Amino acid sequence: MKQKVIFKRLQDIPPISISMGTMLWNKTGTWRYLKPRYVTKTPPCNEACPAGNDIEGFMVLVREGKFREAWELIKEENPFPGICGRLCFHPCESSCNRREYDEALSIHAIERFLADSQLEKRIEKPTPKVKHKEKVAIIGSGPAGLTCAYHLARMGYGTTVFEAHSSPGGILRTGIPEYRLPRSILDHEISDIESWGVEIRTNTSIGRDIPFRDLKTFQAIFIATGAHHSRNLDIAHEEAGGILSGLDLLKQIRMGERPSLGEKMIVIGGGNVAIDVARSALRLGVHTVEVYYRRSREEMPAIPGEVEEALLEGVKIHFLTSPIKVIKEGEKAIGIECVKMTLGEPDESGRRRPFPVEGSNFQVYGETIILAIGEIPDPSFLPQEVRVQDGLVQTDETGLVHAKGIFAGGDVSNPSHTVVEAIGAGKRAALAIHEYLRGRWLKEKFPMIRVGEKGTISLRKYFHPPEGEVNPPVIPFKEINTDYFEHLPRISNPSLSIEERRGTFKEVYAGLDRKMAQEETSRCFNCGICNGCDNCFVYCPDMAIKREKDHYEIDYDYCKGCGICFEECPRSAILLEGEGR
Amino acid sequence: MGSQEMKMKRGIPEEEYLMSGHLACAGCGATIAMRYALKALGEDVIVVIPACCWTIIPGAFPHTALKVSLYHAAFETAASTATGVKAGLEMKGNSTTTVLAWAGDGGTFDIGLQALSGAAERNDDFIYICYDNEAYMNTGNQRSSATPFLTWTTTTPVRQAKGEAKKNIMEIMAAHRIPYAATASVAYPEDFFQKMKKAKEIRGLKFIHILASCPTGWRLPSQLSIKAARLAALTRIFPLYEIENGEKYTINLKQEPRPVQEYLKLQGRFSHLTDSEIEVIQENVGRAWERLMKKAGD
Amino acid sequence: MKTVIEGSHAVSYGVMLSRAEVISAYPITPQTHIVEKLSELCATGELKAKFLMVESEHSAMASCIGASAVGARAFTATSSQGLALMHELLHWASGARLPIVMANVNRTLAPPWNIWCDQTDSLSQRDTGWLQFYCESSQEAIDTVIQAYKISERVSLPSMVVLDAFYLSHTFEPVDIPDRERVDRFLPPYEPKYKLDPKDPKSIGSLTPPDLFTEIKYQMQQAMEEVKSVILQVDDEYLKVFGRRYGLVEAYRCEDAELVLITSGTASSTSREVIDRYRDEGKAIGMLKIRTFRPFPSEEIRRVLKGIPKVAVIDRNISYGMGGIFAEELRSVFCNEEVRPKVFSYIAGLGGRDITQETISDVIEYTLEQDRPEEEIFWPDLRR
Repeated sequence: MKQKVIFKRLQDIPPISISMGTMLWNKTGTWRYLKPRYVTKTPPCNEACPAGNDIEGFMVLVREGKFREAWELIKEENPFPGICGRLCFHPCESSCNRREYDEALSIHAIERFLADSQLEKRIEKPTPKVKHKEKVAIIGSGPAGLTCAYHLARMGYGTTVFEAHSSPGGILRTGIPEYRLPRSILDHEISDIESWGVEIRTNTSIGRDIPFRDLKTFQAIFIATGAHHSRNLDIAHEEAGGILSGLDLLKQIRMGERPSLGEKMIVIGGGNVAIDVARSALRLGVHTVEVYYRRSREEMPAIPGEVEEALLEGVKIHFLTSPIKVIKEGEKAIGIECVKMTLGEPDESGRRRPFPVEGSNFQVYGETIILAIGEIPDPSFLPQEVRVQDGLVQTDETGLVHAKGIFAGGDVSNPSHTVVEAIGAGKRAALAIHEYLRGRWLKEKFPMIRVGEKGTISLRKYFHPPEGEVNPPVIPFKEINTDYFEHLPRISNPSLSIEERRGTFKEVYAGLDRKMAQEETSRCFNCGICNGCDNCFVYCPDMAIKREKDHYEIDYDYCKGCGICFEECPRSAILLEGEGR
Repeated sequence: MGSQEMKMKRGIPEEEYLMSGHLACAGCGATIAMRYALKALGEDVIVVIPACCWTIIPGAFPHTALKVSLYHAAFETAASTATGVKAGLEMKGNSTTTVLAWAGDGGTFDIGLQALSGAAERNDDFIYICYDNEAYMNTGNQRSSATPFLTWTTTTPVRQAKGEAKKNIMEIMAAHRIPYAATASVAYPEDFFQKMKKAKEIRGLKFIHILASCPTGWRLPSQLSIKAARLAALTRIFPLYEIENGEKYTINLKQEPRPVQEYLKLQGRFSHLTDSEIEVIQENVGRAWERLMKKAGD
Repeated sequence: MKTVIEGSHAVSYGVMLSRAEVISAYPITPQTHIVEKLSELCATGELKAKFLMVESEHSAMASCIGASAVGARAFTATSSQGLALMHELLHWASGARLPIVMANVNRTLAPPWNIWCDQTDSLSQRDTGWLQFYCESSQEAIDTVIQAYKISERVSLPSMVVLDAFYLSHTFEPVDIPDRERVDRFLPPYEPKYKLDPKDPKSIGSLTPPDLFTEIKYQMQQAMEEVKSVILQVDDEYLKVFGRRYGLVEAYRCEDAELVLITSGTASSTSREVIDRYRDEGKAIGMLKIRTFRPFPSEEIRRVLKGIPKVAVIDRNISYGMGGIFAEELRSVFCNEEVRPKVFSYIAGLGGRDITQETISDVIEYTLEQDRPEEEIFWPDLRR
């Protein structure tokens, strides 16, 4: 009975004060001056992922044991979970709020676990549907190119990928060692992309085999040729024999060759290529590998985890050292003269500029000298209208190069050289191409599809615009109510011992098993997104929060605005606002 | 129960025996406590409530916010009325209905202590829950013997904050050798729930002392109500433990303690405390914990 | 069954026959014999009841309230300090409309400590909404307890059955203990209209705002007014079943009396002797025994005392600052009447002092001598 009990006559009143009705007529919601509201905020991991993975989403699904759904969730945005789960530098983990409580979640390992869990299972091939008449040409089958092709195919476009090399994959095929990315994984994920109807034409170089202008039969073009040329050092005698480009060596090894490299190798450079070469060399039997890098360890561009592994395996790294001259014996380089460096003011990349210390010269000798100081694209095959500056193809923030439907992305236009950013660029370009082909500009849609403020975009937001705020604020650690979490150790990939790694290119890391993955996801805070923990429901003194099938409802008729739900939500998925009356 | 950290609460049943529209202040801990207690006991219960905040909360005649039987009683008679209710039910052939005496700290520690002691000595069969907001809150925050040391209340103003320690009601109940006594906190619903279930199965007098945070009286923003109750337990100011038959002590929450300052600083009723006073409080809490540990054999 | 027992035990047997279900016991002289006998009866099984040995009279009344609220027949007994301690809850029991029956053995209030008879304790509770019956004999005590349950349960108001300390409680007299079967037919089991029932949950006793409070209290007064006719009805029934009746008042030889003595309790018995002597000597003296103090039998008193020129009220009690309580109530009964008797107020027998035939004669003589009362109160047994 929700009505107030009214007595009309004396005889209606009982002789004692006995209840005859409920208090439900008393809408205590009128007491409020603050009002709670369920919100979804952006978790920092989702903001940080350049590929736009819904990390928080797949964490929840893994926790529930729904591995297939979790994998499909990743695949909505990113076709390469197996690759990212092995190669990515995981900026998600670096922004994970849990790292301020104990340790970041092993998101990287979980992504890999999901990819690997579906290796046996993926049977049903999707029926690719071509919805649109336009066709898109993609130059380069690296991560950027293939991601773009994948998404365009899923959107219903016919796509053709032109690959100069004999097998697809770009840098993934030629530049990443087997112990980091087994070929089988790469092949599996590429065949998955092809199953969506993407045509990959290998041994077809645009520029050499097909002139660029012949691509005008396509309605849009995505340039994703990557960066496969080694930068020169510009020191004396650099052209001497015995000096190899790191990229070339990696490619050789990847193609199955086992060149003899001698007992000692010197590697110049501090990026992933330098480290990959060093570690590969050890496996090939080189006794001593020394890496020389001109800045300090903190500034090394290589993924820190890779650097650590290299050191563990016995690579010697000399920081703040720069080569100034090649030492030749006849026409063969036998060593390098180096000088010690010290750091001064930051340069345009934000890193402190090194300059030599007078009189600190010294010499180092080695049978093989590797140059790995950076990779640059080769834009020579591109037409005039594609603007190139400092060796990089210039694009706007959507990847557009030229209004006539030319787009670019990946290492060909981005100097930071990470697989995951290339994937993100491919996805963005696919959307930009789609918008362009439908007579629109992606730039206008950006505010609605952003995830946070770091440039990440979400395809899901594009296809299913969310109700409420499109790009809610990112939730910082201080908004997490840590009283609801125990300190638990981080579970991460087990790795081979140093002994086990010797002389073999077996994957260094084994993946998580099912139990480990689920246990690890239980550490996830689920920042800013309700996961049904029931706190708000349990603590409400007015029973104003009702449990529906998959969400909670606040009964504003009775909510007094005490704010307990807001305070006790462990993940700040409730906002407390002024009651505007 | 052993050592326990905060866990997600999925085990609390959905059925409500308390309806919305009641008159409790926003954030009232005593109401949250009643909500859980009734969930644990179900509908076959008669609640006896003496003068206290809960006299007002269910609403005035002819309305009520409760779905179970409620009998209002005089201030000091929670336990004695409950004794009579239970005796009457048994004479009517009903030995299944649970009788719940639900009194505030004033009606338990002070004016109601005699009746409670009598019922405990006779081991009358009902559950007595003292929801403790640490002062006579219904009449506007006057001190009771449950008010902690150095707290401000309207009758222990800042210049003469309460000089006496909080009365140890649990030891008093233990001395009566009742079958079951336990402390509880509104921030730990599952723990309270377990204790209620346990109490329901025991014959004799069961006593539960639950800390019920009071935003109004503690001068605490209402949203911090549960947090304060949680910190009270985590700082060991209000430890969670059980005493069976007056002898067997079991401590339920044994986490690393948080400094008392974290709890005290949330509340206006402690805002006058100096650093040295806070130190004294910290020491007292430490000593009390040691005594408790010894009793628990830990 | 005719036997010789003390007044306290008469009450105990009355409670047993009434099949009380919950008995709360706290000792205080001179009530203790009542609960001791009840304890025995419970132990032998003659009385199937819960015997609660509470820790104070306040708790005794609280537990009776709790038991009665769930529909059990409740009883307790007390006296003096104990009754005073229960005061708050006497208001509670009547306000809650619970038909609790309590025996109060009239003992005065301390200080100074005094365990003997006077009516100040029960009369101090006259405003609490309880029915009050003043018993003259053990027979009347046992009969009144049984009647009280029937009356109380019909009107939903509690009853106090009052006995004089020692003069009645500890005096052995012949008593005809009513037959169990007949009492069962006379007094059926208690079926309350409102009770705590977990199957039909209600909140009872909630805060009541000013705009509803009066109506609830009005109903209580209505019930009190109804009590007089209920008492008489129940009396009639009792007469039919057991052959005894008591009425609200008893007029003894009041026909064309020039002076009527107003008494209550055991003093009535002594007065009868004195009245008979005077009547034998040809003096027209009568006695009006007041049995029911609440509700006050105003109409009956006006009827009996119509045309009587003088009344001498013997009060075994005093309301300081006013005087004898029966006298005060009696005066108010006549305040709107054209023809009123002169009311002479006497305070005697306080703290257990015997009200002897001599005292009563002095009272009668003194009253006959005066045309009108010279003083508000006379103290006939005061040491001079």
